[in-house]
Amino acid sequence: MSDIPTIAAAAKLIAAKQLSPVELTKACIERAHALDGELHAFIRLTEDRALADARAAEAAIMAGKSPGPLCGIPIGLKDIVDTKGIPTTCHSKILQDNVPTSDAACAVKLADAGSVMMGKTATHEFADGGPSFDLPWPPARNPWNTAYFTAGSSSGTGAGVAAGLIMGGIGTDTGGSIRGPAALCGIAGIKPTYGLVSRAGVAPAAFSLDHIGPMAWTAEDCAIMLQALAGHDPADPASASQPIPNYTEKLGAGIKGMRIGVIHHFHETDHKVTPAVQRGIDAAIAIFRGLGAQIREVTLSPMVEWHACGTLISITERASAYDEWARTRLADFGERVQQRLLVGALVSGVDYVQAIRRRRELRAELKAAMADLDVVLTAGNPSEAPKIDDVPMWDVSQKPSFTMPFNVAGYPAMCVCSGFGDADLPVSIQIVGKPFQEATVLRIADAFEKATPFRDRRPAMSSALVPA
Amino acid sequence: MQQKLDDATLDFLLARSGLSPTPQQKAELKAIYPHVAAMAERVRKPRGRMAEPVLTYGFNKEDLA
Repeated sequence: MSDIPTIAAAAKLIAAKQLSPVELTKACIERAHALDGELHAFIRLTEDRALADARAAEAAIMAGKSPGPLCGIPIGLKDIVDTKGIPTTCHSKILQDNVPTSDAACAVKLADAGSVMMGKTATHEFADGGPSFDLPWPPARNPWNTAYFTAGSSSGTGAGVAAGLIMGGIGTDTGGSIRGPAALCGIAGIKPTYGLVSRAGVAPAAFSLDHIGPMAWTAEDCAIMLQALAGHDPADPASASQPIPNYTEKLGAGIKGMRIGVIHHFHETDHKVTPAVQRGIDAAIAIFRGLGAQIREVTLSPMVEWHACGTLISITERASAYDEWARTRLADFGERVQQRLLVGALVSGVDYVQAIRRRRELRAELKAAMADLDVVLTAGNPSEAPKIDDVPMWDVSQKPSFTMPFNVAGYPAMCVCSGFGDADLPVSIQIVGKPFQEATVLRIADAFEKATPFRDRRPAMSSALVPA
Repeated sequence: MQQKLDDATLDFLLARSGLSPTPQQKAELKAIYPHVAAMAERVRKPRGRMAEPVLTYGFNKEDLA
């Protein structure tokens, strides 16, 4: 293989019988063997399962079956996603011996689409906290520079996709856990509308903020994965009953006439971003304008309002979900999660309900602000990745998050790479759509990627493995 | 809202929750409490009694069967 292909490119080659799923999978396994000792993207590399999946995909194609775009594509599942017969640890001592008896809904859908399950990817413990060094497995590291943080909690999926160990993967997002690693690892990740992708069989973080979604090298690859993942599931009580559009149909059709609102105050005053992040946003605005989109300014409540609402909900719902273990096995959690569970004792029932009343007001505000817009635009993360040893213990005392507002609202939001900044680390923009308008978000993100050169470059550690 | 958390109140809240942190964790909780209190104050708006929360779940077909 002369390059690490995208899912879209590999799918065409596989369908034309010019690329063997088995050879593609072996190449990813080789990269994992070469790099994961340093990256720690995987908690568990399931080589035998991957090769069996790849052989099954190849046999189906050779038997004349028409492959879908995920057939034979190596993917990873965040290790809070249940996998039948394969340990699902949530990156925690608490569940280090947990072997589920059934697959999560998203795992079933990706398997049914013919993908190759490469393994279980690292996460923050129970998708919470931050990079921890007191857990049974080390935290994933950023492939652009392994001294730096991936963001989280879908840290292993982000690192694995960026380094080419997997071509796509499942992330989950309660306050930014798909979009954060997408931003800091320089890949694409979409948090769909709340309820679009089933959460059944995925460990909860905060029930009313939890979303499942794809992470991949490009927006187009995310669209391909989302096509397989979206759809109603009675096993998820929050699952939406919405028709599923064709997410790839309009990619490449241009964005002329689309209306894009820029939430300038989010990234210019509420939480001022680094120069590289600002340059990425400015460039995106210029590119979108050049492609014929209309650019407007949007004003919302300050980020701190969204952050307070989302954080109170998150603290309380997590404390509820893990209440029993917090009372009986607190010391078995890592220190970061112990602290986060303990803080649940400081939030009253009234505080929680006030937060979800506030959520309704904020969601109404976003709906009104987007009435005449297709998407809004802001930063995905305020800066390039920090060093992994410099990540603070607490998020409640930090400046507000760029991603949490859209968990509070439940609106679809996507991060894509918008350049490189300090230490040559990636930065990103965030594109936010109206409920169930993922196709529009993906179309705009795809247009941005195709108008910029940032998809042509992989982390040096990964590129070095690709033969010239 | 009270911005400082005294030891007796913290002990009561933790006991009520059935949690047993270390002394160092209790000190961390006291240090972080002003941020939590500020967030709680921020979501407390003069909205009156009729303003309802967001309901997480809708009624799908299977709920009505």
